[in-house]
Amino acid sequence: MSEFLLTQVINFGTPLIGLILLLGALGFPVGASVVVIAAGAFSQQGVLDWPSAVAIGLIGVMIGDTLSYSMGHYAKGWTQKRFGNSPTWVNASESFQNNAGWAIFLTRWLVTAIAIPTNLIAGGSGYKFSHFLFYDVTGELTWILLYGGLGYWFGSEWELVYDFISNFGGLILGLVIFGFGIKQVWNWQEKKKLAAI
Amino acid sequence: MFSKANPKQRALVIGLIVLGILFTIFFGIRAVHAYKKFNGHRPPPPGKVETDVELIREWMTVSFISKMYRVPEKEIFDALNISPLGTQDKSLKDLNNDYYPDKDGFVMETVQATITAINASRPPLPESEPTAVSSPTALTPVSP
Repeated sequence: MSEFLLTQVINFGTPLIGLILLLGALGFPVGASVVVIAAGAFSQQGVLDWPSAVAIGLIGVMIGDTLSYSMGHYAKGWTQKRFGNSPTWVNASESFQNNAGWAIFLTRWLVTAIAIPTNLIAGGSGYKFSHFLFYDVTGELTWILLYGGLGYWFGSEWELVYDFISNFGGLILGLVIFGFGIKQVWNWQEKKKLAAI
Repeated sequence: MFSKANPKQRALVIGLIVLGILFTIFFGIRAVHAYKKFNGHRPPPPGKVETDVELIREWMTVSFISKMYRVPEKEIFDALNISPLGTQDKSLKDLNNDYYPDKDGFVMETVQATITAINASRPPLPESEPTAVSSPTALTPVSP
């Protein structure tokens, strides 16, 4: 899939980058990070114009993120009806609201595997759209400039960058999952202590 | 430790911790290996003409390769015995499938050999920028 898309990026240029990033932000497995790194390398090789690639890519990914936020937003009624009385859901929503900025920012470029659930939760928990958009743009711009910049810097050897980044992303995801589990155990311990007092 | 949790929650959290550990170990090892390769390479200097034909991939098109290696597109198409008309947007894999379906890897090998031959016929690039300034007489006079 990625190989086919890379050929098409060479042929159709920046408009296709915008479309790929839009689809990626909606959850389609199009390998958006590969395309961003490769686009950086293609810019260095004179195949793409980097300012327009950054601008169109950012617009594409913002539209995709806004759509997935909207899905969460419009499903809010259903989730409230289904989980609204559950204390776990209420706690999770409150916890998300407290850390939403960081969660949105970091899932744009560091833990990209959980970006879409984050968008859905942001929309579904009633997180303010203007705040979402601010952290979204900041995070996506970091993603495009950092990944694309590394691709530009390494040029034709960009695959080395992708190999490292994809594995590093998996490592961070593993640490996040592990940390989440440990935090849950910690919370139970705290509750147990409080109950004992 | 889990006395405040119901069995389902307990199983979910244990599952998450185990999954987190497995992810961390698996991707951690791969990331270290990738970092070693990544860290061993330095970005090519700006303006460097690519010469390593091992970097050619099957998803690349001939026109992309000609830009990457700064070789004339026509020479690659001539070596492949394929007309550039209507084939410029095709990947090497598609060209191989369309024109040489019985010869697996033929297009890739031919492109690599052609670029290697062109590179060999080029004068060697200087190690550093020349410091001497060429004589003004070498310049072609421009008419006003």
